[in-house]
Amino acid sequence: MLTRRQFLTRTLKGSSLLAIGSVVPEFLANTARAAEPGKDTILVVIEMNGGNDGLNTVIPYADDLYHKARPTLRFTREQVIRINDELGLHPALRGFDQLLQRGELAIVQGVGYPNPDRSHFESMDIWQSADPRRKTPSGWIGRSVPDLQDKQGNVPVMQIGADRLPLALQGAPSGVVSINNRMPYRLELGGGSGPHQKARRQLIEDLARMTEPGESGDLLQFVQRRQLQTYATLEKLQELLRTQNGGGSVNEFSPFDRGPGFGNLLPKLALIAALITQGFGTRVFYVMIDGFDTHSGQAEQHRRLLQELADAVNFFFNQLRAGGHDKRVLVMTFSEFGRRVQENGSRGTDHGSGSCLFVVGPAVKAGPIGPHPSLSDLDAGDLKYHTDFRRVYATLLDGWLHCDSRTVLNGQFEHLDLLKKT
Amino acid sequence: MAENPLPLDKVDPSEAWQPWEPDAKQPWNLKWAGHLYRRAAFGAPLDRLREAVSRGLPATLEQLLHGEPDSEERLRFLEATGEKIAGQNNPYQLRGWWLYVMLHSGHPLREKMTLFWHNHFATSIAKVRWPQLMFKQNRLLRRHALGKFEPFLQAISKDPAMLKWLDSNSNVAGKPNENYARELMELFSLGVGNYTETDIREAARAFTGWHTTSEDASAEFAFNPRFHDTGAKTIFGKTGNWNGDDVVRLCLEKPAAARFIARKLYHFFISENAAPPDALLEPLADAFRQSDYDIAVLVRRMLGSRHFFSVYAYRQRIKSPVEFVLGAAHDVLALVGPNPNLRQQILSPESLVGRVDALGQQLFAPPNVKGWIHGRAWLNTTTVLARHNFAQALTAGSGRINLEQPPEQAPAVAPAPDPAAAIRRENLTDPVKIVALLADVLLQGDIPAPARARLVAFLQEGKPEGNALDQRVRETVHAIMTMPEYQLA
Repeated sequence: MLTRRQFLTRTLKGSSLLAIGSVVPEFLANTARAAEPGKDTILVVIEMNGGNDGLNTVIPYADDLYHKARPTLRFTREQVIRINDELGLHPALRGFDQLLQRGELAIVQGVGYPNPDRSHFESMDIWQSADPRRKTPSGWIGRSVPDLQDKQGNVPVMQIGADRLPLALQGAPSGVVSINNRMPYRLELGGGSGPHQKARRQLIEDLARMTEPGESGDLLQFVQRRQLQTYATLEKLQELLRTQNGGGSVNEFSPFDRGPGFGNLLPKLALIAALITQGFGTRVFYVMIDGFDTHSGQAEQHRRLLQELADAVNFFFNQLRAGGHDKRVLVMTFSEFGRRVQENGSRGTDHGSGSCLFVVGPAVKAGPIGPHPSLSDLDAGDLKYHTDFRRVYATLLDGWLHCDSRTVLNGQFEHLDLLKKT
Repeated sequence: MAENPLPLDKVDPSEAWQPWEPDAKQPWNLKWAGHLYRRAAFGAPLDRLREAVSRGLPATLEQLLHGEPDSEERLRFLEATGEKIAGQNNPYQLRGWWLYVMLHSGHPLREKMTLFWHNHFATSIAKVRWPQLMFKQNRLLRRHALGKFEPFLQAISKDPAMLKWLDSNSNVAGKPNENYARELMELFSLGVGNYTETDIREAARAFTGWHTTSEDASAEFAFNPRFHDTGAKTIFGKTGNWNGDDVVRLCLEKPAAARFIARKLYHFFISENAAPPDALLEPLADAFRQSDYDIAVLVRRMLGSRHFFSVYAYRQRIKSPVEFVLGAAHDVLALVGPNPNLRQQILSPESLVGRVDALGQQLFAPPNVKGWIHGRAWLNTTTVLARHNFAQALTAGSGRINLEQPPEQAPAVAPAPDPAAAIRRENLTDPVKIVALLADVLLQGDIPAPARARLVAFLQEGKPEGNALDQRVRETVHAIMTMPEYQLA
């Protein structure tokens, strides 16, 4: 592969483009770097917050026990999108069906961990720290940062969304940023001349560097690092969005207005598609879709959420495919737990265990992976898992992101037959 | 103050919570008054801090615990206003109302504790839907904020917003909904590890039939005997025909409860940056139990202690969005000085609502029942920027502070606070003196020497005078508000 310098020399020799300033070479640097061996694959993690009802996501429609357990919430053979003679997708998952038809949707069934915890927070922490014993205060993606970091100092991990920084991304000294897609990403410094604004910007950065370690110690240093990282990312992202906009104002960049009918997830994935297409160099993106805690009146809310999910992911891959970037991207969904097999008295479902997750992209082996958990052999009314979720992580860390899963997960986990051989 | 403080597990618990007695070596001064007001209130203007220094710590603490003499009277008026606003079904206005109360109730510690309990019993309007119910809950939190914990927990278990939030209406005999029972133990009273899944299932049965009279804004608690499970339940190994009140009592009979609340308050008032060992918390937990769970006793003990006025607490919290926004508002208003025109508000709390939201803390809408994640999670690249940009709008002298207001609707002459008023009032032109004043107002003078020098250099660059100097002063205030030190509480 070409280095940045080779690329510039070959393609732009004598071109006036070089004279435009730093914008073009910076953009090219990113594109060229995307080809660094083992450093060009991307994972997008979608957290389905609240505990997704896996049983009504990938549906064992041929099993009588399913229909008995779900008198009001069930879907019939005619209603589901059939995958095979036993399983079907929730009718709202049309977008996923399209991906499945293309051979780009893998369904990992019966995922969980020993002694499932039914507290949202405990179980979410377990998934995010990748430690069912809950002894690890950091996240699995945060711990991957050293392996994800490239030589160019790109931002390896990015969260898109106003939500708190999830545990999964914590524990990295730097390298994790969050971008809120509803706020213009710009430092406001009022009016004044260009040089004066620059001086103010410099002042802020200088002050951030002048903290005295001593008593307040690591907390002050944390704030300092967070601020300096913000300034660096700001600069870079502005540059990137400027090139994408053909030099227009950053605030004209709006991938978020895609018409009615969509919630939050689509604009987030649209921004990620733009960042990938523009070669931002980030390896792991993290987004959240909230509302899966369907204790009552589940049907309508669950339908809406699943449709949003499937449509957004399908749209995302369409965007990437148009630019030829789809092959280096995988999407993984997860939720903290599934829900109880038996629906409750409020047309909803309570916290359960053992659920399914999706891994999406041209690189996957499509279709169900592993059997659907049995509905006759339950554990206190809940599905029994058969696949430790850390096996999914290990497969993606080693086989896709080229990280060392044993360090990240603090143990060896057998890979799943999830990825096509390259 | 020790250069290298001992690790927390080496701190003597019997010493730590003794009342702090300032002396010549460790005097009660502006720095510590600022510290106390950042934690026990939402910051305070410089003149109030100076007053606190001259009055002494014990009197200051008493005043914080009891509020201004007229705070009860003020509260009656404020709550009557709040009720009206809630009736207008506009959550945005209701959030503005609460910010106003935080600034003007004359009892900031009570509001601080109300905020603590809002986070503890985190209930969101996203599901509750009716501002009237959220207001009612807010009033309940305030009433009990510094009272006894057991009646508080009994009352919140019957609060209509809470009942709605945790699906109590669908909790019926034969088909229990565990939502409330679980959160009562996990998040409200005991913490993980102090109950079993069976305890939760049994407790859910005890709460069956605890419903609301309606699904709308007029909802009240109603016990519905038809749906109550009258069978025997075994909770924490004790068997009886328990109801919800019994469950609350049984939870508070466990010694873990006092420790759980003490730990949470430790993080709220003292430090989010360290995990105190149980042994350190035990004297607090003990005092809490001895006092029949009197929250005021616990709070007073913490805020007056040696441990509170030590390196273990100083700048060991990141300001929450509410603390950052209201603290900055206090500071700027202190610089503006007395408002000559009482009919015109210089800074309306409503204009701050969108800013608090943008920093990541939407009042009446915590992200989930666990509340906001405090500490380092407050700061990411988005919220760091939002803090800087709020400071810019607040200090610019003409900035658009209200994010919700479209620029074209802003009044032609917006009443914007001008922090440069302070140097005009005091007739200051010496850059060193100007920076000293600003550093006193914003950071009680505790600012690294190189940063101070850098600010002076910025301020005198090109020797600005008149309007240009005013402008430079505003920019300097903004710069101080972006400093890492200013992000800490």
